[in-house]
Amino acid sequence: MSAVELIASAVREGRTTAAVAANEVASRLEKTAALNASLNWSAERLEAEAARVDRASPSDRAKMPLAGVPIAVKDNIVTTEQPTTCGSRILEGYVSPFNATVINRLRAAGAVIACKANLDEFAMGSSTEHSAFGRVKHPDDPSRVPGGSSGGSAALVAAGAVPAALGSETGGSVRQPASFCGIVGIKPSYGRVSRYGLVAFGSSLDAVSTFGRSVDDAARVLAAMSGHDPLDATTIAQPPLVLDPPRRDLKGLTFGLPAEYFPRDLHKGVRAGLDRAIKAVKELGGTIKEVSLPHTRYAVPTYYIIAPAEAAANLARYDGVRYGQRRVGPAGDLRALYQATRGQGFGAEVRRRILIGTYVLSSGYYDAYYRKAQQVRALLAEDFRRAFDAGCDMLLTPTTPTPAFKAGEKTEDPVAMYLADIFVCPVNLAGLPAVSVPVGRSEGLPLGAQLIAPNLAEARMLSAAAALEAALDAAAEVR
Amino acid sequence: MSIGRKDVLHVAKLAELAVSEDELPKLTEQLGRIVDYVAQLNEVPAGEQAPPYLAGPDKVTLRPDVVAPVPLARPPADFAPEFAQGLFVVPRLGAMEDQ
Repeated sequence: MSAVELIASAVREGRTTAAVAANEVASRLEKTAALNASLNWSAERLEAEAARVDRASPSDRAKMPLAGVPIAVKDNIVTTEQPTTCGSRILEGYVSPFNATVINRLRAAGAVIACKANLDEFAMGSSTEHSAFGRVKHPDDPSRVPGGSSGGSAALVAAGAVPAALGSETGGSVRQPASFCGIVGIKPSYGRVSRYGLVAFGSSLDAVSTFGRSVDDAARVLAAMSGHDPLDATTIAQPPLVLDPPRRDLKGLTFGLPAEYFPRDLHKGVRAGLDRAIKAVKELGGTIKEVSLPHTRYAVPTYYIIAPAEAAANLARYDGVRYGQRRVGPAGDLRALYQATRGQGFGAEVRRRILIGTYVLSSGYYDAYYRKAQQVRALLAEDFRRAFDAGCDMLLTPTTPTPAFKAGEKTEDPVAMYLADIFVCPVNLAGLPAVSVPVGRSEGLPLGAQLIAPNLAEARMLSAAAALEAALDAAAEVR
Repeated sequence: MSIGRKDVLHVAKLAELAVSEDELPKLTEQLGRIVDYVAQLNEVPAGEQAPPYLAGPDKVTLRPDVVAPVPLARPPADFAPEFAQGLFVVPRLGAMEDQ
């Protein structure tokens, strides 16, 4: 039984209480403080959250799928009880006047919001080194990064502080850290989960996503918060996700291997991890089919035009007028206030992306960059459609080109950092669901394999991921 | 390099973002590298076409267009840097007001 179901069933059946689970999490959050992964939590707040579940009538509690389950929440998802910082000085001390829909839904399902989780500032980064509150450390090797931008959530789940966590994806920010930390990360179809209360970064890409130590853990949390939300017009008019039982085999399923995700110079450990996953698929009765996604090499440049362009527009709201920090510029007038507030409040990576986004949208460059990127995005989505039309039920790829890298290794070279997302960001550009599952370790560092499915095919993708997970020893070195 | 100091200052002004003299050389170099990198999209032939990509559901479901109070846990005065008489307070616009 997964950790989430173990806790929830015990609380539902009265064998333990949410308060006991919350108390245990408080102790684990204290023990893992050196990771710098948690933000803004307190034992008192946890107690109050748990009391809400324990006060419910036994008949109400019996209906709660996540009764008493403590969940860490990436700090770009708003909550009214504690600050939402987005890892940025510009929002330091800001407390939202409303809760995100996903928070309301998780609480209605009985979950306990355990803490906020550190992140790359405004979710921009692949290493969680770009937070105003310091970098997050990898749980297995503090000299390395946990991935990003949801690195705090990933590190807390991997270290066993919480059984599950929320992250957000714009270009792979949950699957990439899940792979680096040896846990499961699920990115749902675009529109499957409400983004009301998720601080906007790239509006055509953003998706609230989940982490767990197993597929079942992450899937149960995803199912509980999915479904149409009248407060978010971009949600799909569909009922909440209903999960399939985990499969025991993969008979009747075809897994596409896109040649572009297996280059000759792929890291040897990553390649060996994928070989292990391919072997497991075959042993479980699945069929492997080689396919091509010919525009894959253009995904990262496409992403780094579209995402910064949308970010430049979305982050215009941080101007020191309505909320957040305010700095008064030397001229003392309104424009000086805007420029000083934004110039001093945003960190280096956010400033770079705002400037790039403004550049590609500016007069004379829009057609050359932004319009072109939108055209290539359509080609990337078409590549996936053709692979699925050719008979693939899902695609199997590495999640990342390397295992977790050293802190500081890529901070001075933005393009090198961006390339850490090469296998994950195409999925966001095409709006598809995907999951990263641990497949083993290389020189002690975790490796992940990714399953990518057609739009809204999460249930089948997750039941296959569970079969793969059961067949692989994620703690074992790959050879 | 496709982007220079003048371009950085221009977009910083458009983005209402103060950039100091000290950071300009490094920022110009980094932005130049990013712009050069993303420019590889020009290799994709203009003739390669796909149906336009549209994010989101095929059919957008809108709420009824009715005015309703927004339930806020705390009033704007609690999170605004400066708030008075029901309004967000800002400094004067400067040069534009003088004209």
